[in-house]
Amino acid sequence: MLRRAFDQTPPALILVEGPSDATPLIEVLVDPETRPPVAILGYRTDGTPGSSAWPFASYSPEYQALLWAKEHGVPARFIDLTVGQSLARPKAPDDPEVEAPTESPGAIAAQARGLRSFDELWEAYYEAPAHDEASFNAAIMAYAASLREGPELPLSLARDAVMAQAIEAAIDEGHTPEAIAVVAGAAHVVAFLSGTVDFARLREVPSALPSAVTLIPYSFPRLSEQLGYGAGNRAPLLYQKAHDADTNFERAGLEVLLELTDHLRLSGFQASLADTIEAHRLSRMLAQIRGKAAPGLDELREAATATLGRGDPQVVERGLVQATIGKNVGQVAARIGKSSLQEEFWREVQARRLPATDAPERFSLRLGNTLEIESSSFLHRLRLAEVPYAHFLGREGRRGKNEDESPGGYAALARAKETWEAQWTPATDIGLVERVVLGDTLEQVAERCLEVRLAEGGDTGALAELLLDAVVAACPRSAARALSACGVAAANDDDLPSLAKATRALSGLLSFGSTRAQSSLGEAAIGPLLQTLYTRAVLRAPAAARVDEQGAPPIKAALRILHELALAQSELDQDLWLDTGAQIADDWSVNPTCAGLVTGLLYVAQRYDEAAIAERVALRLSLGSEPERAAGFLEGFLEVNALVLVKSKPVVKALDQFLTQLEVGLFKDQLPLLRRAFSQLGKSERRYLLENVLAARRLGDQAPAAKAILVEKDRATLAAVNTELAQALDDLDDLL
Amino acid sequence: MSEIRQPAEVKYAAELSALAARDSGPKPPGWRLSPKAVEHYLIGGEPVDGVPILAKYVGDRSLVQVMIATLASDRALMLVGEPGTAKSWLSEHLSAAISGTSALVVQGTAGTSEEQLKYSWNYALLLAEGPSQRALVPSPILRAMREGKFARLEEITRTSSEVQDALISVLSEKQIVIPELSEIVSAERGFSLIATANTRDRGVNEMSAALKRRFNFVTVPVVQDLEQELKIVTQREKELRSDYQVGLEAPAELSRLLVTLFQELRSGTTKDGKTKLRSTSAVLSTAEAISVLFSSGILAQSFGNNGVTPEDLTRALVGAIAKEGPEDLKVVREYCETVAKARPGPWKALYDASKKHLAD
Repeated sequence: MLRRAFDQTPPALILVEGPSDATPLIEVLVDPETRPPVAILGYRTDGTPGSSAWPFASYSPEYQALLWAKEHGVPARFIDLTVGQSLARPKAPDDPEVEAPTESPGAIAAQARGLRSFDELWEAYYEAPAHDEASFNAAIMAYAASLREGPELPLSLARDAVMAQAIEAAIDEGHTPEAIAVVAGAAHVVAFLSGTVDFARLREVPSALPSAVTLIPYSFPRLSEQLGYGAGNRAPLLYQKAHDADTNFERAGLEVLLELTDHLRLSGFQASLADTIEAHRLSRMLAQIRGKAAPGLDELREAATATLGRGDPQVVERGLVQATIGKNVGQVAARIGKSSLQEEFWREVQARRLPATDAPERFSLRLGNTLEIESSSFLHRLRLAEVPYAHFLGREGRRGKNEDESPGGYAALARAKETWEAQWTPATDIGLVERVVLGDTLEQVAERCLEVRLAEGGDTGALAELLLDAVVAACPRSAARALSACGVAAANDDDLPSLAKATRALSGLLSFGSTRAQSSLGEAAIGPLLQTLYTRAVLRAPAAARVDEQGAPPIKAALRILHELALAQSELDQDLWLDTGAQIADDWSVNPTCAGLVTGLLYVAQRYDEAAIAERVALRLSLGSEPERAAGFLEGFLEVNALVLVKSKPVVKALDQFLTQLEVGLFKDQLPLLRRAFSQLGKSERRYLLENVLAARRLGDQAPAAKAILVEKDRATLAAVNTELAQALDDLDDLL
Repeated sequence: MSEIRQPAEVKYAAELSALAARDSGPKPPGWRLSPKAVEHYLIGGEPVDGVPILAKYVGDRSLVQVMIATLASDRALMLVGEPGTAKSWLSEHLSAAISGTSALVVQGTAGTSEEQLKYSWNYALLLAEGPSQRALVPSPILRAMREGKFARLEEITRTSSEVQDALISVLSEKQIVIPELSEIVSAERGFSLIATANTRDRGVNEMSAALKRRFNFVTVPVVQDLEQELKIVTQREKELRSDYQVGLEAPAELSRLLVTLFQELRSGTTKDGKTKLRSTSAVLSTAEAISVLFSSGILAQSFGNNGVTPEDLTRALVGAIAKEGPEDLKVVREYCETVAKARPGPWKALYDASKKHLAD
């Protein structure tokens, strides 16, 4: 329609609402290779991330005006605030067009007409009807005038002034006012026409921030997120179809319904053509009842629900979203100077066949070949650079199961397979453009990000995590730096958990590093540092184990790590740990839970034989020790492979003795702790325990004199076991 | 007026004739009112020529528009929803407004036969005269076809699949063959069918795909909004009281309490979203709330002495809740213990009454 108006009275100059410093981009915008949706992206160049996008769909009047200008050789330019000035605005940096507060005059007007939202109003009154120029102008101006009656934002007024100034400048250049066409928001146009532009407002224009503009691809799903603006973005694909059909909304609606029918058939629903025809008829009838010129999104949805959906809106919703929003991604002509990061991104994405549509897509990488390892490194680099594109789902890609698994870190080294979910959004390109200040390649950007984290410091464990991040993202320089930082930090680090974590990281690097081909790091550098860290950690262990109950869990985790590493990593001095462990196990001043844990570990590692373990357990659980500490020991002890422990007759005997020796009062006091200790046991473990207890008791049966006392004391023991059993049965009931 | 309940077209005759007099919109063939006027009649709104137009349906206007648009086509309309969501009510008013009669109704039951859909005979006459027009007993659907009006079929999912199959040819060919008279009755313009189906009955006699294709489906939703449901309940209860000429008006705070209780038990959480509740197996529909409010008014009038009290409400509630078994009473009891007890005003009285009447 805009084009029709231009064809009737051809302008000699076209001025468009849009950032004035983006005028040079117009050429690219209308390049035949550029396919909307695209957006002008303005971004800050002073190192702070910050950007703003001005999206164009092919049905945008701004875009059509520019296209017309190009076809007819008429000059065109943007006349709004520059990008730098817009970015300096205090509010809403992401959406350049938030002018209306939520309870806007538009929304009120919609309600007054019995419609549900401003977007529906816009669709019904401005997009769908076959307006001629005069009637459209009348309608839109009435709307715009009403809009301005609402509260005005100072900046909007300032923008009036800026644009009016640009128009006057054009007149001063010698264009006759009649030959200048201005394509701008109706609210602004009212101000131009009514002469209420206040040039004093120019002073309120914020001073510009350093910035640059470029053109990025945009997508329909993002466009549809910008509601309340009224440019019909609620269903971009529907508008696109209407635009392609020369604003024939009826036809566009029919296309949507046909696509929906296809979609339903593909997803296994019955969808007959008769239903589609009926939906089309119903949507037109609804539009007629509502006084609309053609069916819009709401009519299509309701009609499809009543026919194809058999009354269930959920059946049609997904297909309808696909047919009215779609996942189209625009394309920008190659001749625009894409930033180096964007080029790298798109090159890699295409070469590696990674997803490039605006819909989540899931894929797995097998880290067995170089190509897929490189893909993984690429994704990890994006992750480190915080460019929104892909997120890590886990080793197997089953949601939920591996939820705790972090994308980087120790786990990343041992993985043979990674599952990712990737979705290109304009935010990806925006992120890439914003990060140009950090480097020219993704590797550089990732390294910069790592270095920022490196500079923030942290304990050895955190630095080791950083090192692993650098390794999985294939950033050798950062890795080397993180490695030496690790060494420096380790010298002053007395924190056992942190040391243990770092030790594990380095050990993992030594074992698995080869899959990631870190030639520049070299085992030569890792090996000695690993030794140092390990030794430090082990030597710190006895002192660290003297913690109170609250501090125990991280220490226990660290002790476990050290134990595993000592047994698994051939480079390390196994005996050093075993000796230190024995020392901890026999030390009465360490936390009893830690002592119990280490005792259990050493037993499983066959450092202690049956006799030795029975002796130690008996000693720890003997009457001489405080029952509280004894129970703590038991808890730590049973945390280790409990099955092995409860199968051992001497151990069970010692346990049994401990429990039967307890006085009733003490037993009651200790019950909560004991419960906790025994609750770690599984069902079969409990059975073994009971069997062994019974076996131990049969010996006691032979002394009839002791029997009465034993039975008496049994009650207490059985009570404890019984509660456990009752709970187990309850659990079982719940399961059944 | 001595009839307990008048059909919609009689009760709202004044509204309908006022709307008809003022109706300038184009009417589909056989319709008494234009689609716009039908919408006006159902949703309510501005008075026409001094006749106030009451809201017959409180809820989403767009649903009503879909219903009307469907009836203007050659497809029949299927209203589906939970029990007590005003499906039959809507069907009655739609046919009253569009065809001028809501009486052409077949109640679907397990015993509904094909004759009840098509035609049967007056056997005395049949034996005396042989097949003749005089001996023919037309079904409501056959009459609707001859007169170009709407027929209504209630609870279609309760009828057997043979009966449902017989309906297919009626709906697609729009004619009924009477071989005994060598006659084919073709529907006059304006004929259509409004059926209702209960989602709770799903699977009892599942409709075939062929039958489903003859209908457009509109799901009538359970009212979620407190104010909206409160409006429906009080308005409909008032109408019942004037129809039956018994009962007392309950205080506004009591009706609000009742609707809140129904909505909270239905959704399984309190309005503030903080407490999780057990739900009853009996359907707590809007219709049920209306009936509880109505019968508490009768209880108060007959046996009480000072207006409707929370106690009357509780007694009426027991009858509505206990339908599916005593378990549901426990649920309400639990609700009173956990929710009502802590709330002020009439809630406290409800709690006290519940201790008395809901005890095991």
